[in-house]
Amino acid sequence: MRIAVTGKGGAGKSTVAGALARHLAARGRTVVAVDADPNPNLGLCLGLPKETVASMEPILNALLASGHTHDDPTPEPDELLARYGVAAPGGITVVATGKIERPSNACLCCGSHNTTRQFFGGLPAEGRIVLADLEAGLNDLLWARPGPGDVVLAVAEPSAKAVEVARRAVSIAQGMGVQRILGVANRAGSVDDVEALARALGVEVLPVAEDPAVEAADELGVAPMDRDAASPAMADIARLADWVLAPVASGAPAS
Amino acid sequence: MAPGGQVAERTARQEAVLASLDRQAAALAHLEQAAGAATGDDRALAWLTVAAHLGRARRDHAPLLAARRLEALAPELAAHQARLDDAQAAAQAAVDGLAPDERAAAGRRLGRRVAVVGKGGAGKSMIAATVARLLARRGRPVFLADMDSSHGTGFSLGLGTAFAELPPEALEEHGGSAYGWRLATGLLPHQAVERHAVTGPDGVRFLTLGKIGDPAEQRARRSVVALRQVLGGFAEPGWDVVGDLEAGPTTPFERYHAFADQVVLVVGPAWRSALTARRLLPIVEGTPTVLVANRFRHEPDHPGLEPAVRVPFDPAVVAAERAGRAPLDEAPGSPAMAACAELVELLAGPAPAKEGSP
Repeated sequence: MRIAVTGKGGAGKSTVAGALARHLAARGRTVVAVDADPNPNLGLCLGLPKETVASMEPILNALLASGHTHDDPTPEPDELLARYGVAAPGGITVVATGKIERPSNACLCCGSHNTTRQFFGGLPAEGRIVLADLEAGLNDLLWARPGPGDVVLAVAEPSAKAVEVARRAVSIAQGMGVQRILGVANRAGSVDDVEALARALGVEVLPVAEDPAVEAADELGVAPMDRDAASPAMADIARLADWVLAPVASGAPAS
Repeated sequence: MAPGGQVAERTARQEAVLASLDRQAAALAHLEQAAGAATGDDRALAWLTVAAHLGRARRDHAPLLAARRLEALAPELAAHQARLDDAQAAAQAAVDGLAPDERAAAGRRLGRRVAVVGKGGAGKSMIAATVARLLARRGRPVFLADMDSSHGTGFSLGLGTAFAELPPEALEEHGGSAYGWRLATGLLPHQAVERHAVTGPDGVRFLTLGKIGDPAEQRARRSVVALRQVLGGFAEPGWDVVGDLEAGPTTPFERYHAFADQVVLVVGPAWRSALTARRLLPIVEGTPTVLVANRFRHEPDHPGLEPAVRVPFDPAVVAAERAGRAPLDEAPGSPAMAACAELVELLAGPAPAKEGSP
């Protein structure tokens, strides 16, 4: 199974993706977490220490550093995963596909997005879950190109901007034939927030409650799952895992 | 790809570079002409503006001279460099001829050019739009460009999702340009702003990228190079220019902030936001950078990232963002807006006395 998590910057993509990966892993699934953000921090929400996240070697930079050039054939995704994947809590493997820190010969346009595509679409997803935390905005969603068999989570917080970006994400995913699309009302303060998002998106929406424990974890730079796995937001994300794993009848998600 | 195809592609790219040199030369000629015709205090401002513009132009031209893929254009690139050098010498001579007080007064009116960067959700758009409006309230003409392919700036400005894109006639397809499109030939940056920028609250002139997910596909792709060309070439005397960049390091890495003389780096309370800021600092190195802590709650903040301005967490701003309206309209007297005014002082100097505004 492939899951793409998309939305506006700051909407809570990494928080949702990280905790969802942890819940899925806790239920015995093999999870490959793909941090497609050139500004990677998914590792933090998976439970990796800050130092590891800050120094994680991205595939593209690592390849170029090892003498790889743009003209060389790129190794198979599974080989790259074996070489550059980092073990995170819960048996999750995480890879960063697009990090850059300073101008170098790394070329973002042919690098980060292509590696995202390669990992999201190219990594065999039978018997495991490939979960991609996409770059802020919608460009990466165009590159990841999820298809009919994939899952797209459009994450929004209750701001007009984030709702607008999620609305567009849903419409793009629908245009790509994706059948399992879920809106995630992150930092939902009330039922109104959830209903407003559902009206805007026109797809099923589940809430992730506004949660001081998540905010505190964010400030400290630790995974919300490790700070309080039973906090309201983390419990809501467990329900997202239920939705993801629910048996699919004729392409439509079971509710 | 067939070798023939590669050659054709390279030629198209070189063609795009040559067209861009022509465009820059035309924009420069427009500035020089305006400076030559200016009188009184406007003359000092105009020459100071030309000199500053040439500083940026020469800095941006240097890497082209060294680019191996542009070796075939060496004569044209050298000629452009000579044109810039001559223009710089002439502008500098004009500036050197100014009386010190004349020069100082012009310096205060000189347009501020600010790029706003940071992690997604840090508050870039809120800061960019509010700063633009506060500059405009000082009586300064302001051009605000939204360089994000997702909606944001328009909401914070007070225009919501109103159409503020370069229209089709301002764009032209060209295979050699990045993304395949560029600003229409013959359309100068100041004309693009005059003709196509929407007038927002407080008179801020506003242009945005096309947004990903629009029914008419590819609008974001079509407009990105063109809007960069407008931003880089637009240097009308006395105009402030504010650019709101896309979240994260990608577009700063591609030097989308090259139009600016100052960078505002917005940092939120999350540790990840500080990590992003640490990654952005080396990327924007070389452009003076002001660190702004947004939604600031308490010390200690992020070690090693001392903010110049703290915009406090403010429920009134949260409410405005939720509604998709401008915080400056919804919460004009709020502490967050006061902090934005403080940021404007830092960027543009103390507010002028009322009667002194241009």
